[in-house]
Amino acid sequence: MAEMKKSSHSPKKYPAVIDQIYNLFDNNVLRYFTFFIIISFLIILPQTSSRFTQEVMSNLFFYITVCLGLNIIVGFAGLLHLGYAAFIAVGAYTTGILSAVYGINFWATLPVSILAAIIAGLAIGAPTLRLRGDYLAIVTLGFGEIVRLTVRNIGITGGAIGLIGIERPVIFGYVLNQITHFYYMFFILAILAIFTSYRLHNSRMGRAWEYIREDEDAASAMGINVVSARLYAFIIGSAFGALAGSLYSAKMTAISPESFMFLHSVMFLLAVVLGGMGKIPGVILGAAIVTIFPEISRDIGQYRLIIFAFVLLLLMLYRPQGIWPDRQYISTKK
Amino acid sequence: MSFWEIFAQQLFNGLLIGSFYGLVAIGYSMVYGIIKLLNFAHGDIYMFGAFTGMVALGLLSPAFGNAWLGIIAALLITMVFVGLFGVTIQRVAYRPMLKAPRLSILITALAVSMIIYNSMLLITQGQARPFRTGLTHESFFIGPLRLTETRIVLLVAALALMFLMHMFITRTMYGKAMRAIALDRDTCQLMGINVYKIIAITFFVGSSLAAAAGIMAGVYYGTIHFFMGFLIGLKAFTAAVIGGIGIIPGAMLGGLLLGLLEAFATQIPFVGTVWKDVFSFVFLILFLIFKPTGILGRVESERM
Amino acid sequence: MIKKQWIIMLVLVLFAFGIFGCGQDTTGPDDEGPGEEEGTILIGIMVPVTGAYSENGIDMENAVKLAVNEINAAGGILGHTVVTTTGDDECDPAKATAAASKLVSEEVVGVVGGYCSGATLPTLKIYGDAGIPLVVAAANATSLVEENPGWTFMINSTGDMQAENAIGWFEKQGVETIGLIDDGSAFATDLKMLTKQQWEAKGKIVLTDDTVTTGEQDFSALVTTIMSANPDGIYWTAYHAEGALIVRQLREAGYEGIIIVADGSSAPAFIELAGPYADGVFCTAPPFADLNPAAAEFVTNYKEMFNSDPGAYSGLTYDAMYLLADAIERAGSFDDTAIKDALAATDGFQGISGEVMFTEKNTLGRSNFVILVVEDGKWTFAE
Repeated sequence: MAEMKKSSHSPKKYPAVIDQIYNLFDNNVLRYFTFFIIISFLIILPQTSSRFTQEVMSNLFFYITVCLGLNIIVGFAGLLHLGYAAFIAVGAYTTGILSAVYGINFWATLPVSILAAIIAGLAIGAPTLRLRGDYLAIVTLGFGEIVRLTVRNIGITGGAIGLIGIERPVIFGYVLNQITHFYYMFFILAILAIFTSYRLHNSRMGRAWEYIREDEDAASAMGINVVSARLYAFIIGSAFGALAGSLYSAKMTAISPESFMFLHSVMFLLAVVLGGMGKIPGVILGAAIVTIFPEISRDIGQYRLIIFAFVLLLLMLYRPQGIWPDRQYISTKK
Repeated sequence: MSFWEIFAQQLFNGLLIGSFYGLVAIGYSMVYGIIKLLNFAHGDIYMFGAFTGMVALGLLSPAFGNAWLGIIAALLITMVFVGLFGVTIQRVAYRPMLKAPRLSILITALAVSMIIYNSMLLITQGQARPFRTGLTHESFFIGPLRLTETRIVLLVAALALMFLMHMFITRTMYGKAMRAIALDRDTCQLMGINVYKIIAITFFVGSSLAAAAGIMAGVYYGTIHFFMGFLIGLKAFTAAVIGGIGIIPGAMLGGLLLGLLEAFATQIPFVGTVWKDVFSFVFLILFLIFKPTGILGRVESERM
Repeated sequence: MIKKQWIIMLVLVLFAFGIFGCGQDTTGPDDEGPGEEEGTILIGIMVPVTGAYSENGIDMENAVKLAVNEINAAGGILGHTVVTTTGDDECDPAKATAAASKLVSEEVVGVVGGYCSGATLPTLKIYGDAGIPLVVAAANATSLVEENPGWTFMINSTGDMQAENAIGWFEKQGVETIGLIDDGSAFATDLKMLTKQQWEAKGKIVLTDDTVTTGEQDFSALVTTIMSANPDGIYWTAYHAEGALIVRQLREAGYEGIIIVADGSSAPAFIELAGPYADGVFCTAPPFADLNPAAAEFVTNYKEMFNSDPGAYSGLTYDAMYLLADAIERAGSFDDTAIKDALAATDGFQGISGEVMFTEKNTLGRSNFVILVVEDGKWTFAE
């Protein structure tokens, strides 16, 4: 947190009001107060809201977790990942198979699912992260298709029909099967993801990622092991996705390959870029836009993706740092 | 069918689909060579080309008595039109991004791809459209091969386009300039080459080749739809990487190789049609791991 | 300085509450007659109206709207005017749960729809928990039957029946060996597996078993493998876009056996796309609205209202809406259990796609599938 405070002295780039709002959040008391308000609001929300609101909100928390995971790879380490849905599928199917086929307790499947994502991340990352960055984009795209086609083709995953009968999680003998339970489950997951992201961002590794992203050669010259730092980002990001996927499978109780298509990977990426790569509140904002906007604007549903694509294009052309970017990013670039 | 009959038939199948992959892959490869951009929108330009061709053919074919003449006229018009479309995309979306970080321009390309794809989805209402040519598809045998007139003409046309392309790159001033820019853009600018113009020409040529492939697919298969570009875009990219991205003959070679690989993969027990796509993506990843510069690529320093 | 910040802070927080407050539905999920005081009842439509399958979804939505218009013109249900609300499932399971929750929150009396099996599946429990009967018009994967909490009623014949139909026809034509092709979608794979099981149970041989990728155009390699195995009959279990291409390429390569396509390919677009190659291709499908004299009125009205031809599942969806209305009338109230029981007790409901009655698993009691054949560029009855 200390670093963020320091950066408030960067040159002014925004009109006074926006700067005011930014400065507002530099005041720790105020910031904690806001957090407190928002969190307590989100905690009481299910008590007063409809099923639909809860469903959309738990989707949002799922998206936040996933996007923060992707943000570690794309935002922090600057690697373009086009097959992130595959890692969610790895988590979802690990949990799904272990619980539906072998009857293993949901909570016990979580470490296995993270492990599976780490192995998948290593298998894809280790050989390709040495290569030029854009090769990674295509390898991850290919990997995404491989995973989707594989789960579609083999028997244990239920093939194209999907895996059904995934056990609901049980806490102290209490079965979690209502939307409100999942609301809180995903809420806790999102809070965990936000917390972990902040810790990572401010860690030694986080600074190394930032350095590599800004200047790979200089970082390398300063003794940062570029390949291993990237690999860490890749693996940690994958683990986030897998964890979210595990919870997703528990909530849906049925998963099928069509939940992990290329389009989903693109939407995750869109949310990260829209909000502001590397900036945690920005990513949360992006996730919120991508999940809530379609729900409240059904009438323009047909045009939704085109509008998103145009916004993305304009954003890249005129404001490549995203809606709510990292302030360090603004001060160093241009 | 005997083993050799199947072999010959699959060889021909592979060559034909491979030459389509090759035509699309050239565009990928050229753009990558010159501005180091993975143009995700390229597969969608192929699809856009097919639809433009359908409209052009619908307007033109009554004017020509012969089906093939109409197709050739439609092909030429579409190639020019889609070529200009490619140049426009380049001018609007990519040129301002040439100095931006690589990640940003890749995302721009993704956005352009989404715009074309979703616009066509809306325009066609998600329906597949028949591509009417008026050609008959009577098949006949040459030795063990069962062929149709269309298949032979298309294979020859695809190979001819590739050959023309190769001549263009190696024998003309523009081709020379493209290769020079691929090596060192800044120096080229200093040497008085109009870099932006050459980049625009690259997009024109690449897009019109993709459009040609799109029309040929329409003529051959008789059906076109808005998602036809996604898979072939992916495959063409694979082909470009296998051949050595940035190298034009590599793209053609990679395309043909991938086509053959897929055709024969369907014959392999335990691979079949079910695992065919997984097979080619695994092949891509293996290639990237063990020979990232592709078949024709020279060893270069990895960091740029 | 600090004071000013506090004020801005306060404004922001109030603003945030305002946004969330607006988005909230203040009514709880209680079981009062929804909006009965106003004399209207709300029926949910769950179909994909955006995304790659929107074409079929919109056709289905239109069919419901047409049915509702007619019902309202005839005095509504139990004297109440019917109002519809659409939940867009986009053929995506995650979106489908949100759509289902939306319909549940809006307190619909019943839901009609369900196109993609994969997306419909996770919603069954949501409707079951909320006590809302769901009449599924198109989706028919076996997994839906297994996961049915008792509130789901499927009026499309299940894969079992369709497979039986296809096999019966193959046998009638003297076919001994078959080749199967699907596109890897839930419904098509399900149908393919069922056909394979039933065929092999008869001690007959499945020579080739293939899966193609959606979006592919070149099936020449597949065609060559099939030609080399040369099965007597081929069954394509998926949709018309790839189906037309496969039929065309098979015929072009000189395949002369029997080709059957499944109901996903029954749209007139199949014939348009396959051109002359469609001639003589059979199809296992519910009777087409066009072919049914009882449905002629439906087709005319549909064309008049939406200025387009009804889709492959429009007829079934139209029936689904009428069935629901009929069940509510028979139940005599808007009580959810009564409606469910009335639906389950349905016997001899005459829809435009055939007669409806349910098994104890709430699937169609009698197959309404027929065999169609393409003759002179049109689907006609084969028998």
